[in-house]
Amino acid sequence: MNQTSDLAADSGNFDPRRAAAVLSETTQQTRREIEPARPWLLTVRGLLVLGVGIVFWLSVRGQHPYTGPTTSVIPLAVTFGVLNTIVTLTFARRATLGIGGRSRLHPAEIALLAAAWIVPYLLMVPVANSGASTSVAYYVLPVPVPLIAAGLAWAGISAARRRRRPCGTGLAVAAVGVICLIAGPIAGWLAMGIGLCVVLLGTALVIVRGQRRGVVGA
Amino acid sequence: MPLMTTEELDPLIHAPARLKIVATLAALPDGDNLSFTRLQDLIGLTPGNLIIHLRKLEDAGYVSSEKTRNGTSSLTTVELTGSGRKALERYTRSLRDILGGV
Repeated sequence: MNQTSDLAADSGNFDPRRAAAVLSETTQQTRREIEPARPWLLTVRGLLVLGVGIVFWLSVRGQHPYTGPTTSVIPLAVTFGVLNTIVTLTFARRATLGIGGRSRLHPAEIALLAAAWIVPYLLMVPVANSGASTSVAYYVLPVPVPLIAAGLAWAGISAARRRRRPCGTGLAVAAVGVICLIAGPIAGWLAMGIGLCVVLLGTALVIVRGQRRGVVGA
Repeated sequence: MPLMTTEELDPLIHAPARLKIVATLAALPDGDNLSFTRLQDLIGLTPGNLIIHLRKLEDAGYVSSEKTRNGTSSLTTVELTGSGRKALERYTRSLRDILGGV
C-alpha cells in the first residue's frame, strides 16, 4: 500500500464533528495536564495567604511604635512558607515532567528568583542590629521588598519568553508589594493578605478560562 | 462561498491518532518539546502505534524528533515544527468552514 492510500485509510470515516471534538478535548486536556499552577491549588494558597495576612495584621494592630509581629505568629508564616514552596514545586515538577525547551527555567533564573525571596529575610537581623528602624527591619524587608523583587524578576523572565500571563502575575505581585510599602507596617500586613489572595484567585480564574477556551468554534 | 468537503482536510492530520499527537504538541508553548514517554502518557497510544504515526508526521516535516544519549539511557523528544503549527492552523480553519456549513 502506498503512502497516500495509507493516509486515506487512517482518515477513513473520521467525521469532521468528531475531529473537532477530538481536537478540542485533546487541547484542553493537555493544557490542564501541563499547567504547573493548578487552579485549585492557587485558590487554596490564596485563601491561606489571606489568613496569614489577617493573623499578622491582628498581631501588630495597635502597636505604637511598631515592634513587629509577635513571636507566636512567626511559626505560622514559616510553616506556610515551607509547605507552600514544597507543594508548589511538587505539582510544578509533575506537570512539566518530560517537557523541555525554551520555557524551562535556567539555573541562573532559578537562583535570581530564590535570591529575590531569601536575601531580604537574611538581611533582617543585620539591618535591625545596625540601628535601622524596626519597621524597616521587620516590615519593609520581609513584606514589600521580596514581593517587589520577586514579582519584577518573574515578570522579566516571563517577558523574555513572551509569556503574557505569568508576566502579568509577576507585575501584579510587584504592585501588591508597592501597595504594602505605601500602606505602612500595620495595614500593610492586611494589604499583603488581600492583595496576594486577589492575585492568586485572579490567576486561577485566567488559567481556568484559558483551559476551557475552545479550539474549533465556541 | 462554496462549502468545503472533508477531502480538503489535510489527510496527515485528519486521523484520530495523528490529530491527538499534533494537538498535544501544539498545546505546548512555542519552542518547547515533549519526551516520547510523556507524549505516550498524554494520548494513550502504544509505543509502536505512536512511532508509526510520528514517522508519518516527521516525513511531512510537521514534527521533529531528537534522540539524546545519557550513559546507558536515551531520551527521545518530539517537537511540533513551524510548518506543523501552520498546518494545524489551516486544518482548524478548514474544520470550522466545514462545520459552519453543516
